[in-house]
Amino acid sequence: MVRSELNKRSPLRVFEKSIKGGVGKGHIGVLASKKGVGKTACLVHIATDKLFRDRHVIHVSFSQKVDHIINWYEDIFKEIAKKRELEDAVDIHDEIITNRVIMNFNSQGTTIDQVLTSLRAMISDGNFPADSVIFDGYDLASSSTEDFGKLKAFAKEVEIEVWISASLKGEAPVFNDNGVPEELENKINDLDVLITLKYEGDHVHFQVIKDHDTLEPKEMTLKLDPKTLLIARE
Amino acid sequence: MNTDISKMRNIGISAHIDSGKTTLTERILFYCKKIHSIHEVRGKDGVGATMDSMELEKERGITIASAATSVNWKGFDINIIDTPGHVDFTIEVERALRVLDGAVLVLCSVAGVQSQSITVDRQMKRYNVPRIAFVNKCDRTGADPLKVKDQLIEKLGHNAVMIQLPIGLEDKHEGIIDLVTMKAVYFRGPDGEDIVVTDIPSDLLAEAEEKREELLDVVSMFSDELMEAMMEENVTEEMIHDAIRKGTLTQELTPVCLGSAYKNKGVQSLLDATTRYLPDPTEVTNIALDLDNDEKEIILESSLEKPNVALAFKLEDGQYGQLTYIRVYQGHIKKGSELYNTRSRRKFKVGRLIKMHSDHMEDITEAECGDIAALFGVECASGDTFVQTGLNYSMTSMFVPSPVISLAISPTDKKAADNMAKALNRFTKEDPTFRTFVDKESNQTIIQGMGELHLEVYIERMKREYAAEVEIGQPQVAYREAISKVAEFNYTHKKQSGGSGQYGRVAGFMEPLSEGEYEFVNKIKGGSIPTEYIPACDKGFKSSLEKGSLIGFPIVGVKVTINDGQSHTVDSSDMAFQLAARGAFKEAYLKAKPVILEPIMKVAIEGPTEFQGNVFGAINQRRGIIVSSADEGTFSTVDAEVPLSEMFGFSTTLRSLTQGKAEFSMEFLKYGKVPKGISEELIKEYEEKRKKEAGK
Ligand SMILES: Nc1nc2c(ncn2[C@@H]2O[C@H](COP(=O)(O)OP(=O)(O)O)[C@@H](O)[C@H]2O)c(=O)[nH]1
Ligand SMILES: [Mg+2]
Repeated sequence: MVRSELNKRSPLRVFEKSIKGGVGKGHIGVLASKKGVGKTACLVHIATDKLFRDRHVIHVSFSQKVDHIINWYEDIFKEIAKKRELEDAVDIHDEIITNRVIMNFNSQGTTIDQVLTSLRAMISDGNFPADSVIFDGYDLASSSTEDFGKLKAFAKEVEIEVWISASLKGEAPVFNDNGVPEELENKINDLDVLITLKYEGDHVHFQVIKDHDTLEPKEMTLKLDPKTLLIARE
Repeated sequence: MNTDISKMRNIGISAHIDSGKTTLTERILFYCKKIHSIHEVRGKDGVGATMDSMELEKERGITIASAATSVNWKGFDINIIDTPGHVDFTIEVERALRVLDGAVLVLCSVAGVQSQSITVDRQMKRYNVPRIAFVNKCDRTGADPLKVKDQLIEKLGHNAVMIQLPIGLEDKHEGIIDLVTMKAVYFRGPDGEDIVVTDIPSDLLAEAEEKREELLDVVSMFSDELMEAMMEENVTEEMIHDAIRKGTLTQELTPVCLGSAYKNKGVQSLLDATTRYLPDPTEVTNIALDLDNDEKEIILESSLEKPNVALAFKLEDGQYGQLTYIRVYQGHIKKGSELYNTRSRRKFKVGRLIKMHSDHMEDITEAECGDIAALFGVECASGDTFVQTGLNYSMTSMFVPSPVISLAISPTDKKAADNMAKALNRFTKEDPTFRTFVDKESNQTIIQGMGELHLEVYIERMKREYAAEVEIGQPQVAYREAISKVAEFNYTHKKQSGGSGQYGRVAGFMEPLSEGEYEFVNKIKGGSIPTEYIPACDKGFKSSLEKGSLIGFPIVGVKVTINDGQSHTVDSSDMAFQLAARGAFKEAYLKAKPVILEPIMKVAIEGPTEFQGNVFGAINQRRGIIVSSADEGTFSTVDAEVPLSEMFGFSTTLRSLTQGKAEFSMEFLKYGKVPKGISEELIKEYEEKRKKEAGK
């Protein structure tokens, strides 16, 4: 398959369709689930899909080592290339990773201000024309609404789309009647898109909780392939 | 002599620049009673440390040569192999790593794990070198050895554990607490040579007990005996030592020692740890390749009875004449015996055999397996393998990367020319990544290497050690040309008028080859080109690769297939088919859409986070790609891929952008396509140059 065809057929088109074409510049999308369900894989797939379409992505992480994030990207790329029998995969890989930067923050107590300062430096001084910023491993649930506001203002100011994963505490997180995780209730007004991941049987399913101005749970016809960890059609 | 091999240690000391490697090494030599006074590294007396034998090195404060020095500590024979720290000298580092059995990783208690420690550690991992860590400079303001231990875990992925704790830090740093013996150790006297062992001061007891628990928890994983003893509460010091040793040998554990080399604290305890936990030569697996048996891997045995195998890992042109440092892996090499160099296939007699100590050299009559010694006046190159006649082994061949940068040099006068020749001859033997040749067109001497600094250092050495003054040209990046499409050819070489004629026709196609430089496939059927001329075709194509027509650089990654052709009973010859192949190549090359490739360097920059923006900007301006940035609060590291051609003068730029507070390291990563605009420029330049030359 050639790259343009792959982009057309990507399950991410389904994904975007169910949230009015995507999160959009200046907006924030949140992917929430308890630990170990597959948020990182989803975010990396979302980012890789953007890279495939010549967008520039900054991946912000809060882990000990950068290596394993790079490995995530390598794995997801390989799975996609294999599944779609992508032509010129090596060249495409080398080309698209030049549009990706990983920024890791590994000291405890990194503040949102520090992160935003670094992002600003990358975008303006580093002249990196970011379209999307992916936040993985950020403790969204315990961050203040004020911090969240700063992030939102930043997204608006530099016109980027932000995706954040939110790790819900415990084995059985509590959701309210609208499907909003209790831990995120205080931020539901500020975030633009909220998607939750849940196990149903042995598969992980996606549910749109908030879709820009609509707050009403609806199923996505997508699942997480347990073997490849790719987002896939049901 | 018959030394006890279990009491032999071959160790390296590796460190980021300025962590105190030189200072620590000199302290070690001192305590081993081999040198009699301690000079400060950059002290007023100008004497400098014993290990840094080259003047240039002292001036730059970096360690370039890898010499080996033998010392004795409490009945152990330790060979200290100097591991160069700078990444521009990767080949030297790697060669030194081959002959080490263990290493001490020196870290600064304030700066912690820095970029070079990361590079060197990665190399050590590749060569399976067991390590112990020494957190130096505990007397400095801001010293935090426990933080450094955490960085070993986080940044280097070590299972690091403190085996000592500091007694006081910064200007109150007095000594260490040994968590195995649970005693306080002080280093008194003007040179710290009086060791005073006391009970642990009461204010530190609680912390010591807690950290000892941690130590036992971590190391008991390596010893069932210790695990049981812990439950029965009859742990002995021996059990703990054994467990630490086991974990260290398998590289599953990094014991962490600490102190201050400068203030004479903790060095003797580090020596104890070195002899206790690092392996003896029999505990390391060494492999040779049997050249008579398809390079089959042979595991060498540290046995005196086995035939001799030794590796020449370092040549040195010192005050004593030419020395070849060898590591003996098997057997024992005797003075006067005969050895065989498996690379040059020459026999030679072992003349003088010596051991280098810090202040003198000792003539010895034999060097046993496991040991390091030096030979006088042997004609060889570094990396050569010496064996007993009858064997044909080579120590595992090391990967030698192609040079990425070149420089024209011309001697200022006749004398300089002679000296330069001598120097170049020596350097190319020492360092396979350093090459030299005379350019046929310009008649200039060209030197090639792995980076700007690499070549700079050799030019300086030429001046100082060989009194060879040379003028240098602009550094030139080693570009490559490659094809990007399949292209067909069908070329006839014909010259049949008058005299003996020439005739040959070659047809087929060329295509990009992703791995390797050149491949030739013969698919001629029915003898349209007689078999006897096929090698000539191959040769013709191959010779076309030497110089591409885009910018005159070598062509890489071409697969040529021939499938048709024609010959003439009288007029065909080897020469005719070689010329036909060259013509065919020329015909197809431009159709195959050639591109220019350039060396891309992996660059790591480390500095205060406040300058991050400047660093990002500098990389961006240099066509670099930022792969990642790691922010650790006040410090951050940026990993980038930058074309070599953009890196000239980067150290100066970086210094001014960051007030001298950032550092960088770089190594060759890969060849990458040159962007269109620049490629056009390069082509234009080349054409102009050729026009000029043609006009001459
Ligand atoms: N305060 C302090 N300074 C030290 C210590 N060890 C080395 N130094 C200083 O650090 C600088 C670099 O030391 P050197 O041994 O040349 O480091 P190398 O580059 O790793 O060989 C010199 O000025 C030393 O005097 C130490 O334990 N404490
Ligand atoms: Mg030094």
